[in-house]
Amino acid sequence: MTGTGQPPNGMTRPGGEGEISPQEALALVEKQRHEVAGRLMVDIELILGAWGVAWLVGFGAAYLSYGRHATVPGWLATVLLTVVNLGAAALTFGQSARRGAGIEGPSREVMSMYMWAWPLALAGVFAVDSALARDGLPVRLDSLLWSGTAACTVGVLYLAGGMLFRDRVHYGLGIWMLITGAASVFAGPPGNFAVLALAGGGGFLVAAGWYAWAGRRPAR
Amino acid sequence: MVRLGRQAAGPVTQDRVLPELDPVIHSQPRLRVTVALAALGDGDRITFPRLQELVGMTSGNLATHLRKLEDAGYITITKTYRRRTPVSYVELTRTGQRALEDYTAALRLLLAPPGGQAHEKQGEPGS
Repeated sequence: MTGTGQPPNGMTRPGGEGEISPQEALALVEKQRHEVAGRLMVDIELILGAWGVAWLVGFGAAYLSYGRHATVPGWLATVLLTVVNLGAAALTFGQSARRGAGIEGPSREVMSMYMWAWPLALAGVFAVDSALARDGLPVRLDSLLWSGTAACTVGVLYLAGGMLFRDRVHYGLGIWMLITGAASVFAGPPGNFAVLALAGGGGFLVAAGWYAWAGRRPAR
Repeated sequence: MVRLGRQAAGPVTQDRVLPELDPVIHSQPRLRVTVALAALGDGDRITFPRLQELVGMTSGNLATHLRKLEDAGYITITKTYRRRTPVSYVELTRTGQRALEDYTAALRLLLAPPGGQAHEKQGEPGS
């Protein structure tokens, strides 16, 4: 309002519907942008946190079930590894489906292709590793093959995600997963599972923590 | 920057011309709808029920405001069928996108301190 008591141009429109002042309008624009973005985007810290816990628990159990001094039964480790990974995958796909509901267009198509790239790539790796195992690959190498190829595939997919969404943290996580995959093979069994649990799961959790911190930072 | 054409120019204060605010967008419900549509990816469109959920309006109210935005050329509404069910998709047009950008720029200009522009023009340190 001006000092004369007359509203400056555009400040108010008597009789107009949903009448607002410029201050209110600008605040509304910022608030609405923030709210809508929050409801359209997946909760990335939740997704990465779930994968972090899945790797920590699943591969941690695999490590503890290995060898003669195992503290966790083999069957329990297999069940845990399967359940936590399926749970994290369900959460990821559920988030993507819910946030993208009712929207169609180029960005949804790209997101959909990226989401499907995960099961497709992992199915390919699964087929190759299974075929090698069936062809007589020694048990020791079989274990290293699974951990190395799985982590490296995940790494490549995060590199792709980083490029697709222009997200350096995603890209950095991809590099970290490639290092983790390679390190797991060098560690040898059962250390490969410990590397996946601690470095892999830890990498996910650090990335989740970064997104959570960045999201709460006041916008500049 | 706000384009201040003849129609867009408002009253002159001590040192500047205040811009007119676009009456189509300068309404709380239509502003919410326009901002929500602008948050979608380029070329993306949204169904009526999902947009309704995002902006928290009744369907009658939303339909009324969408009609006004459509009349102004700011949005397009496409009616189609999906699995034999009628679906309406709403999309922000380039004109609508530009109108929102001009509107927010006009708001910032209106709310800027009166001396702000003069300082910028003089190129004083810190500007």
